[in-house]
Amino acid sequence: MFADELKTFRRLGLRHVLLQLLNFASVIASGLMIWKGLGLVTNSESPIVVVLSGSMEPAFYRGDLLFLTNPANQRYQTGDITVYKIPGADIPIVHRVLETHDDKKKDKQLLLTKGDNNYVDDLELYQGLQWLERKHIVGKVRGFLPYIGYVTIAMNDFPQLKFALLGGLGLLALIQRE
Amino acid sequence: MHTIFARINNTSALLSSCMMALLAAIALSSFVFTADPKGELGLLSVKVYPASAAKKVYPKQELAFVNFNVTADLTPLFHWNTKQLFVWVEAEFNNTKRAENAVVIWDRIVRRKEDANLKVAGKNKYMLRELTKNFKHAKPAHYTLKYNVMPYVGVLTYGEAARTKTPVEFPPVQQRV
Repeated sequence: MFADELKTFRRLGLRHVLLQLLNFASVIASGLMIWKGLGLVTNSESPIVVVLSGSMEPAFYRGDLLFLTNPANQRYQTGDITVYKIPGADIPIVHRVLETHDDKKKDKQLLLTKGDNNYVDDLELYQGLQWLERKHIVGKVRGFLPYIGYVTIAMNDFPQLKFALLGGLGLLALIQRE
Repeated sequence: MHTIFARINNTSALLSSCMMALLAAIALSSFVFTADPKGELGLLSVKVYPASAAKKVYPKQELAFVNFNVTADLTPLFHWNTKQLFVWVEAEFNNTKRAENAVVIWDRIVRRKEDANLKVAGKNKYMLRELTKNFKHAKPAHYTLKYNVMPYVGVLTYGEAARTKTPVEFPPVQQRV
């Protein structure tokens, strides 16, 4: 099966392999550039996130894709759906803002959030913090695309899939002629 | 040229770009629907009680208890790209000393057009509280009914359906009856 591929491989030579590797690298680099560029425009460290839990059902299910922005001059409002990351917690959480208090004394906006599908607010998720602040917030949800992110969840749940996919792509990039 | 790989590649590329175009068209189409329904929000009573710190995570503080009436026909917000509405009532009030507060006191998820004609006589589901833990310096509050239209695909939109005509004062704190 692979004899054919090996023969073409030998015929095309080292220069071709290097060119294909370069192509591969430029694809990865441009992907990274787009991601970081989006991050700059939206002022969010991670402008696209995948929903990992069911706490916002029936609005967002596992695997849905969310598009975030985080304009520095805009305050958060009740009803905004924010993605926040508490220091020490490893995954970001997508929940809706339940309370905002603009504290004039400390010049800070203090927030309390709650998942639509949860019965109680998030105070116990804050790991000892009383309120959420801007520095914890990755962004607020502006756009929504269902299901697409399930690929990444599948890859996390079955790591073999990730390697198979990467390996397959790499192999294809190397042996393809055009 | 006509290998099975090339065929699979071409078909899936065509399918996915068609899918993307369709999704984009649906997302854009929801900008055509610009319904702005209005309803009414009436306050029946506001009371302030001191709360003992029953749960350890919450501090000892004063809580306000609100009874209200909501009548709003939000059915015009349902179109082909509306997955659900998130409707809530919030209190917005200032504190002369320290803070501006906005607190959600009641919410509801509306998933069907048939349920979008709201007639609710309710009380607050969530704690209505002040940053300084008491309502001594709190100015009268505006109460509003707001909604968030959540689409099947595309942009989330927000709106306000009702607002109390005059701000409502917080009464002095009462001891528990």
